Amino acid sequence: MSDQPMPSMLDQGLTKTYQIPIGHLDYKFIEKCTDVKHLEKILKILRSGEEGYYPDLTLFCEKRIECLAPGSRALRKDKPAATAADFTTEEWEEINGEIKSWMTEMQEDYKIQLPKTQILHERLDNLPPVRGSDSCVPIGQNQGSGNKQRKKNVPRDYREWDKFDVEKECSKIDECYEENNSKSRLLTNSSGPKIETTIDITGMSQRERFFIANREKEKGNEAFATGDYKEAVTYYARSISVLPTAAAYNNKAQAEIKLKDWHSALQDCEKVLDMEPDNLKALMRHATANKYLQNYQAAIEDLTEVLYVEPENALAKKNLLEMEQKLKDIKPVSKTHTKRQRILIQDIENSNGEEECERGSGDKKTGVLVQEEIATEKSEMGNVQKKFTSKGDGCRSDDKETQNQREHTESGAKNGRSENRTSKHLPDQEAEVNGYLNNDKKKSGNSNIKEENPRSCGTVSSSSGKNISTLLPTTAAKLKSEGNELFKNGQFGDAVLKYSEAIESAVNLGVQNPHDLSILYSNRAACYLKEGNCSDCIQDCNRALELQPFSLKPLLRRAMAYESMERYQQAYVDFKTVLQIDSGIQAANDSVNRITKTLIDQYGPSWREKLSPIPVVPVSAQQHRWNGTFTSESKQKSVTDVSGDRQLQINSEKTEERFRILKTEGNELVKKGKYNEALIKYNECMKLNSQESTVYTNRALCHLKLCKYEEAKQDCDRVLQIEDTNIKAFYRRALAYKGLQNYQASVDDLRKVLCIDPNVAEAKKELEEITQFLNPNHNVTASSQQKQRKKIKIHEVTESNKQESQVSTSEDAMINHIPVEGGAEKCVPLKRSEKLLISEPSTAYDFGQSINAVNARKDKAACADLLMIINPPKLPMLLSNKLDGDTFLIFIQALECYILGKDPGLVYQHLFYLSKAERFKVRAYLLFNFPL
Amino acid sequence: MLRAQRASGGLPGQRQWRGGCTREQRGARRASMSGAGLEKPQLIAHLQQALSYTAFQALWVPRSARFLCLGSLPRGAGIIQLYELQSGRLSLLRQIEKPKPIKCGTFGASSLQQRYLATGDFGGNLNIWNLEAPEIPIYSVKGHKEIINSIDGIGGLGIGEGAPEIVTGSRDGTVKVWDPRQKDTPVANMEPVQGESKRDCWTVVFGNAYNQEERVVCAGYDNGDIKLFDLKTMSLRWETNIKNGVCSVEFDRKDINMNKLVATSLEGKFHVFDMRTQHPTKGFASVSEKAHKSTMWQVRHLPQNRDVFMTSGGAGNLHLWKYEYPAQRSKKDSEGVEMGVAGSVNLLQNVTLSTQPISSLDWSPDKRGLCVCTAFDQTVRVLIVTKLNKI
Repeated sequence: MSDQPMPSMLDQGLTKTYQIPIGHLDYKFIEKCTDVKHLEKILKILRSGEEGYYPDLTLFCEKRIECLAPGSRALRKDKPAATAADFTTEEWEEINGEIKSWMTEMQEDYKIQLPKTQILHERLDNLPPVRGSDSCVPIGQNQGSGNKQRKKNVPRDYREWDKFDVEKECSKIDECYEENNSKSRLLTNSSGPKIETTIDITGMSQRERFFIANREKEKGNEAFATGDYKEAVTYYARSISVLPTAAAYNNKAQAEIKLKDWHSALQDCEKVLDMEPDNLKALMRHATANKYLQNYQAAIEDLTEVLYVEPENALAKKNLLEMEQKLKDIKPVSKTHTKRQRILIQDIENSNGEEECERGSGDKKTGVLVQEEIATEKSEMGNVQKKFTSKGDGCRSDDKETQNQREHTESGAKNGRSENRTSKHLPDQEAEVNGYLNNDKKKSGNSNIKEENPRSCGTVSSSSGKNISTLLPTTAAKLKSEGNELFKNGQFGDAVLKYSEAIESAVNLGVQNPHDLSILYSNRAACYLKEGNCSDCIQDCNRALELQPFSLKPLLRRAMAYESMERYQQAYVDFKTVLQIDSGIQAANDSVNRITKTLIDQYGPSWREKLSPIPVVPVSAQQHRWNGTFTSESKQKSVTDVSGDRQLQINSEKTEERFRILKTEGNELVKKGKYNEALIKYNECMKLNSQESTVYTNRALCHLKLCKYEEAKQDCDRVLQIEDTNIKAFYRRALAYKGLQNYQASVDDLRKVLCIDPNVAEAKKELEEITQFLNPNHNVTASSQQKQRKKIKIHEVTESNKQESQVSTSEDAMINHIPVEGGAEKCVPLKRSEKLLISEPSTAYDFGQSINAVNARKDKAACADLLMIINPPKLPMLLSNKLDGDTFLIFIQALECYILGKDPGLVYQHLFYLSKAERFKVRAYLLFNFPL
Repeated sequence: MLRAQRASGGLPGQRQWRGGCTREQRGARRASMSGAGLEKPQLIAHLQQALSYTAFQALWVPRSARFLCLGSLPRGAGIIQLYELQSGRLSLLRQIEKPKPIKCGTFGASSLQQRYLATGDFGGNLNIWNLEAPEIPIYSVKGHKEIINSIDGIGGLGIGEGAPEIVTGSRDGTVKVWDPRQKDTPVANMEPVQGESKRDCWTVVFGNAYNQEERVVCAGYDNGDIKLFDLKTMSLRWETNIKNGVCSVEFDRKDINMNKLVATSLEGKFHVFDMRTQHPTKGFASVSEKAHKSTMWQVRHLPQNRDVFMTSGGAGNLHLWKYEYPAQRSKKDSEGVEMGVAGSVNLLQNVTLSTQPISSLDWSPDKRGLCVCTAFDQTVRVLIVTKLNKI
């Protein structure tokens, strides 16, 4: 029809409304016309129909306008509301499903939310006074004029408003407006009263808190979108004050990055990563912050981790290259220094170097971060052993308690660090030892300093980024080494003088490197500590920590100083921080135990509330990260690790302690795969304290692993009653539902998980998988279900493999389920074979998995069990072409040792069908002919 | 399909052409629409319910899937109906009748746990009801001589710092602020002086309640006046005139440092004021936009995103807008005084639901994209707006 617009009518005149030549109502003209106004007029004519109806031409004209001016008002048309026809089926279902689930959620919610008058009254009491009764005071202050005060409550009229000198008034208002602004900013910046007092969470239900936290977060997002980063940070902080969520921390970090507040950003990222170890955004932000703090090595670690999860992340790749380049640039310079210094160090001590530089040991290729760290560990262990054999005996005589010694031997095997303690008592022995351990009673004063050298060397060689000129000016360096010497000789007072000089000269020469300065301060602090000058020690430690947050030694020294000043709370916090950095420091562990007792005696069971929050240590500052033996719970709360048993006896009356120990033991058992035993422990835990949700989530995990889905579900329900946003519980309940084949409920739970935190990859995966089951096309037959169940297993195995690497790469203080589940990694093969006993493999892949597991453990019994449940004729199919020598052998052995006695017929059948397997002949040839 | 054509103004000739399109074309059209649906928000009329009375306002009960309709029965009595969304339908849970027609209501000054409703009626009475026991009001005052046109609350629902307060605007020309803890008398009263002509106050809102002291009230009048009263300093902070009656004003958020204010007018225009920077003489920078030829009855900001708002029109249409900030929100004028810079407004979506004016609109505070609106065709509609999280 487009060709038809009646040629006879062309050029016949003008249109009625706009006096446009009729000829303009033409494809060619419209195509060429660029005058939007003109086109709009044409469109109006076409739409009005006064020159006839040309739908296609109208459409064409619309498109032309759209292309020229997409925002044109002429394009706005009356449209009916969208209907199902405007969406794809999936979209429509999604929309409806979302509304429906919200409705049910709300209906349940409504029932729960019955008025709680008690709390309400309390909250009402906290309200500001009624305006006009008391509020006249602030008004008087602000306006400073009495008559207004008087009039305040009297009706005001426009004339009165008019009487004001507008300009004066406005400027006055502006002033006070600005004042208020700045005041509010100030308030929030000082992190203080506004945030804490304004969002008063007393009497709020979980739901309310969730709701309000969310609102505050949204406000933050909006402010962020507008570019008001300060305001955004404020609102995120408020959100966190109501309910800490990973998302809020993550957003806050982003806003802080915009504000170039790298340290805070780093801390917030750490918190996110505590909650969600594989949050990519947080990792990226962490890397960015590290980059600007010039912690290139740490940035590289972060980026590597990102690329591990998401190998295609272009941004991460780019940044990684950039970082590596920067590191390279720095490298050559630092290398020369390193060499020189190493020699110097080696004079003093020969073994410590590795320890200190493990954080960024020169190897640039952090891609293999894990290995690197493990390697470091090994070498460290090696050192330790050397030391131990050579000098270990000497230390026994010292004032250490026998307990410590025992612990030391116990833990020595586990992580080489505790050996240090032994060696420290040797007069000639190196330093770092006492960095950890020099309690006041211990004498080996000399040591502290030397370790600093290797340390600085370590960092010079490695961590790189800091500064090209990492070395101290020569004078300072000289002074420092003199100080070290004096310290070694026990002349602490003189050492202090030397260090002070060194600091002065360093400062005067404008040394920018915080690291070196921090070491000097830290050394001086050590001297002060030795002298018993605790307050100066603390001051120096503070300075050192300002320059180099979360460095171990200053923290430890400060902790010790606090302890000797009997400021136990601060000491406790510092020791805990130290333990976050390195969990293996026995002295810190012991002190924490000791202080905990003191604090309990002092404040009673609620002593924890008296503490200031323990800062979260950035990943980069943490050592022993590969040492994934700590579960989150034990890490965060428990004081017991190696000495758990003894503690148990000593403190058996203190239920809290006992509770924690039981839980830790339970966690350990979970890690070893002994779910039944772990269950018993957790049950005991619950007798002591039924409100602790982590125990329930942990028990739920055990139930899950034991395939007791119903119980697992109940546990999760309990948790969710206590704490209705527990993401772990949702996730586990989803798995339980899945096990119970209640896929709908499972999907709901997973959605909630994703709703709380959209970045949980496992949940997404599960969700996809389960949604497939929910698909009506899927016919739910028994066999397919079995298949599904196995799929899950495989999935879990891969999951825990991934976690394994996470545990090693990311910090070990991860709060959530990962460590607990990750702990299960060791028993993966066991678990698998156990489960395989229950269900028969239906595909070659499944079978292959089980066989691998069996092979890995040489578990003939398991193999026999496997063979028992397999229908012999299926054997060739299951084996496909995967029959290898080991499998063959273990089959034969299993058949011989276990099955032959019970069911010779089956053995025959198996052997018969085994001979039918694809690679049987080759295998037989290789096995029997070749060796012979 | 047919109805859709008719609604889009199709005429017989057009229908012929449309009818001629093949199945493939239709499929393609749907595909292209859903393609557009990916980017643009769509408005879906989820549920609707015919009413036997004229509803003036619909509002969500916080933390629930329920909403209220306030209105006037044909015989001149007031009515409050409580509806609940149930799968695929609306069910009427409760119906409360009151002697005077109810014009407006708010939960804004009540706590999340109590959820007491404050209403203004044709008789000028301000009442607060416990919906669980609605026989006797918890608080009642004859606040105005004539109808209360508009009401707003703050300090409750976790929105806004400071004391819970209610503001009412009436045809008698006064704007009064009430504290539910103080009986009988308002805590603040803004009225024209004796003898001066009283303007009909059509709309009032709270704003700027970002800490315990700060709070403003903004009122719009039938002559186009907009007045901003600062409750902290008890002064008129700013006023302007937008030439046509102000039907509705709203801050983008009540509980932050004043950010934006939208005012809709009688002749189909609305103005967005950037409230962050006030110039001593020029006041606040603004941008205006005309949506259609009919009255813009109401504006409501999306609770989950302050830069998205919906306006309801006299021709039964709804427009969804987004405000885009300028690169710099303030600049220095020739004398070096800070002045605001207005941004621009983009239309995200528009639909026509009815031939009668849509008198009120309310976004669900809990579910993003869910809203309810009442129209003078005596229908209440529950709408879903999709893709709001991707704007």
